[in-house]
Amino acid sequence: MTAPRPHLLVAEDNQLVCDAMRVLFDASGYRVSTAGHIAEIIDIATSDPVDLLLLDLGLSGGDGFDVLATLRAEGAMPRVCVALTGRDEPETALRCKEAGCVAMLLKPVPSRDLVRMVGEWLAGAD
Amino acid sequence: MHSVAPGSVEAQLEQARERIAELEAGDSLKTQFLANISHDLRTPLTAVITHAEILRDGILGTLTERQLESIAGIINGGRQLLEQVGEILTYARGAANQLSITGSEFKLSDVVTQLRALNESLVSKKGLELISDVSDDLPLLTADREKVAHIIGNLLGNAIDFTPQGGRVWVSAKCACGPNGAECVVEVGDTGIGIDSEHHELVFREFAQVDASASRQHHGTGLGLTIARKLVELHGGRIWLESELGAGSRFFFAIPYPSK
Repeated sequence: MTAPRPHLLVAEDNQLVCDAMRVLFDASGYRVSTAGHIAEIIDIATSDPVDLLLLDLGLSGGDGFDVLATLRAEGAMPRVCVALTGRDEPETALRCKEAGCVAMLLKPVPSRDLVRMVGEWLAGAD
Repeated sequence: MHSVAPGSVEAQLEQARERIAELEAGDSLKTQFLANISHDLRTPLTAVITHAEILRDGILGTLTERQLESIAGIINGGRQLLEQVGEILTYARGAANQLSITGSEFKLSDVVTQLRALNESLVSKKGLELISDVSDDLPLLTADREKVAHIIGNLLGNAIDFTPQGGRVWVSAKCACGPNGAECVVEVGDTGIGIDSEHHELVFREFAQVDASASRQHHGTGLGLTIARKLVELHGGRIWLESELGAGSRFFFAIPYPSK
């Protein structure tokens, strides 16, 4: 019997980026969900436990911090949360850390590095 | 109540003030637009680069040499575009006073070593000699490491761009006594085409290129030196140049050491 594929949720409101992440992580052995609106993200994360959340900070219906606060309140925090953003601001990086993210990455992260880091974070969370 | 006679100097001054306020409001809108559009351009670029990297890394199957070459072109072009968009975003944030400094202590020599490695392939492709003379023993800088790297990176990028094959480019640094105490003075020089003294101030202006003609050989956003100046000023420092047409350029910037 093969081990279940880790569930990776891509929270990103740009369909082009969602599609790219789906192709990348599906081919790298993950079960991938994608969503761009915070209601949809919370719906997925509370009904189907997420191993790793790749969270864009700018979303439809709110921002990434709203998602993290709601998931924490609902007891549905993913095992690992990683913020992805287009703006490299130290104060945002600090906020991400305080909100429970292991890292804030500046888009675009080279795909090889992203797959490697995701694997390492999940192995470290076990 | 004090009334202003129409046509008087006071009335004209009042009109001029209103006009300035209107122009400043328009300029600020334009800056905000630049920041927004730069940010929005990064997202589709991310998708393009990620898809190309998936193909390059063989995640969807093995490609031929020629296909890999073509994919490398997409990735390099995408990354170059992304860098330019990043420069516009930094400029817009600087113009809107939205840039801040995150200070830490670091060795300048480490930053220069890193930049040297980043520029190595370009330098050898152009047949240039890159010399760095930054002692490990210089006092630690207390500054925003990323922004200092950005300043030197922009100056170095220009030096490489404007120096013809066989030329020399260098980075050096020393501790000196400035107008307000000790400072670290960094020099980025080259044996390139040089800049006429009448253009020395112009090169720091946004979107300025000394050769602005359609046939110009050096491309870019024209923001590199404007951003460098902004980032130096954010550190309370100064930036200047010494150059003559045909005799290379030497750009200097000074960042103060914290007073003891």
